[in-house]
Amino acid sequence: MGDGPDIKRRAPDIVMRLKRLGSLHQSRLSFMRILTRRLARDAWRFEPRAFQMDRGGVGHAVYTAHGPDRAYSLVAFAHDLPDDQRSDRVIAEAWDATFTLFDGIPTAQDIARLAKNVPLQETGRVSETELTLSRANRSVRLWAHVIERLAAGLQPDPQMIESVGYLMRTTAVYGSGKFGAADRAMIADRPEMHVPFQAEMLSVYLIRWFVRDLVQHMADARGAGKTAKLAPDIARRLGIGNSTGLGMAPFLINHPVLLNNWISVREDAIAQVRALAQATPGEADVFRDIFRRAKASVAVWRSDHPIQIEKLASLRADLAALSGKLRQTNFARSHPWDHLMRWAEDTLSEEGQEFLASLILEPYGALVDHLANHMASDAPEPARIKGTMPIARVRALVRQNFGWSEDLDWSAKEHTARAWYVSEEKLEPRLGERFDEPIAAYEQPLAPARDAIAALKALKPWEDTATIAAFLLRHPEHRHIIRRVQMTRHAPYAEIRDNTIGAEVLPIDMLRAKLSFFGATHFDPRSDRWVRICMFAGAPYPDDLTDKTSDLWVYPETPA
Amino acid sequence: MSLSLNEVETLAKKAARGAGYPWGLAEEAGLATRWLWGQGIDGCQEIAGLLGMCDGSDLSGWGPRPGAHWVAQYGTLCPIAAGAALSDHARLLPDETLTLENVARPMLLAPFAALAARRLQTQIALSWLETRLTTDGETLHIQGPAGAARATVTVAKAETLNNACPKLTRANPDSDTLKCLETFAHRTYAPATQASRLNGAGAGLSDND
Repeated sequence: MGDGPDIKRRAPDIVMRLKRLGSLHQSRLSFMRILTRRLARDAWRFEPRAFQMDRGGVGHAVYTAHGPDRAYSLVAFAHDLPDDQRSDRVIAEAWDATFTLFDGIPTAQDIARLAKNVPLQETGRVSETELTLSRANRSVRLWAHVIERLAAGLQPDPQMIESVGYLMRTTAVYGSGKFGAADRAMIADRPEMHVPFQAEMLSVYLIRWFVRDLVQHMADARGAGKTAKLAPDIARRLGIGNSTGLGMAPFLINHPVLLNNWISVREDAIAQVRALAQATPGEADVFRDIFRRAKASVAVWRSDHPIQIEKLASLRADLAALSGKLRQTNFARSHPWDHLMRWAEDTLSEEGQEFLASLILEPYGALVDHLANHMASDAPEPARIKGTMPIARVRALVRQNFGWSEDLDWSAKEHTARAWYVSEEKLEPRLGERFDEPIAAYEQPLAPARDAIAALKALKPWEDTATIAAFLLRHPEHRHIIRRVQMTRHAPYAEIRDNTIGAEVLPIDMLRAKLSFFGATHFDPRSDRWVRICMFAGAPYPDDLTDKTSDLWVYPETPA
Repeated sequence: MSLSLNEVETLAKKAARGAGYPWGLAEEAGLATRWLWGQGIDGCQEIAGLLGMCDGSDLSGWGPRPGAHWVAQYGTLCPIAAGAALSDHARLLPDETLTLENVARPMLLAPFAALAARRLQTQIALSWLETRLTTDGETLHIQGPAGAARATVTVAKAETLNNACPKLTRANPDSDTLKCLETFAHRTYAPATQASRLNGAGAGLSDND
């Protein structure tokens, strides 16, 4: 790197704040884009093997993706759901469509077994040949509109398409051994499944294809001979919606090493690009082109939630400022990307900074894409405790990760106003008011900062040289947090550096962080604890998936 | 019923928590149950047996007070607490044998002996009554009857490892055991109230549009 500036990854104290995590944007290292690049590069073949639907769109379908070594099949069941039963909440009991991703090609026997279980979702059982379990509801408005128009021989209204964005939205995509499905360990060593959430992303990608066919089938049944075929450019703009509730927030806290790996890979990539002494004119052109397209995507991002409305206003102001800055920037200067990032840190909101941080990776696939191989965490969690660690070292690790909260008054109500718990009802994760509801006895261990500072207090009388094993023998109640603290030895981005039970905590920040790594766009919070997003909007369908189309689909094509 | 190992781990962790274990030890209970199933041993029966024995008592009296003989204040040693201590103190294990007095469900010590063996890169043997287990961290060899409700266990470094138990990737607990663990796990769930139903997961805009 010669005499350039000393460019390191951004410090965890900056990156791991909730406000910033809640401002993350998708990037080249998002799981959806990693998936579509791989599917194209390895020339996966896609085959609809069954589509047995009645005129009302009730029946089943099997869509198979053939990879170099293995095949995976989406088994879809479409139902006739009365309107009053449609809910995105985990407490729902019926859906418009239910799905599983089968490991291989299912036999008739498999289909019969799945037909008895998949429609039941959490109350059914799947087996080790199934990798995911999911369900989706129609967008009532758009579904009816599209069928009506196609059946009348017309195309849907592009504005309607734009304003909703999807025909169906998933309300859960379960993987990793849930409800009897295969454990992650059974597939983690397959190259196509090693990156996190690839089975889930493949499920959603195939669901999108199935949904396009289902809506066409129902329009055909309605309009008979005069039905129009959904225009490919309109179909392509349709994604799959997703409603995500609180469950994702505990996931991030419960998988600290995984969170670390995602964040540290992205930070590595950002640091590597910032460290580049020069950008070629070609690279600068790629960046400018993608910036223009990304701006178009932000322009159509809508939300009715006050917090997001405010964030969108900041982001749009940031993008205007960034446009001006780019006009003045000579990319032939030394370290142009670092220059832009430093300018952004001084000038833009977190939304704008993170937007830029993701975007500067775009010209550098050859440099950063391989980092995706380090995003998985194959070490077992929870990890084994290192008993010989001296207490001085434990104290130092606590302070390194939670020092920011050492002076917080943990006896003050506002710092412990909330408690995370699991409700008896459908085992749904919830967040409640500790001092108003009878929930404290059921609290989940999702307040690492409070617990770490409590452990630090208990450690006070102990000698620096004593082992943590001796401490834990006396204090098993601190075992959970000591384990977490030890995990940060090799995982500096494992811990969120904010209070997760304070009166001000916004769970949607955690949801957004996770969903941005999926590659979601157009975050639309519906309250402070659930959010709607769109997945795969703009992506090529399997029949159109090539190396040319497989990557930048997330940015809308706009005239230069 | 066939469960994924992830499911048994989660269930055992919740059940242990429901029986009063602190979270960190409940996590160990989950890992131990999963590990035993991975060796083809019914970990659910072991953990359900343990939780049945210690339910309702003050767990702090079930932890070990170490020395050359590990004993519990209340007379019966909890294999999760003792196992965790064994694994935490692996480097300090004596070269001669160590005795753990009166351990409940001693089979549950095996996963922790495995952790210690891996850490020390050696084989560890556990013996009680007619049973002798040997583990190198990855695999387990059993001679004699597998389960015992309570026994005094000796821990020693071992020379060799005979043919190991065949590995499993699924768990098949019987329905009574499953029900027992679910009953314990259920204690970790907060009863639904109207407030929690409305706000706990986020009221807000319509979800049917």
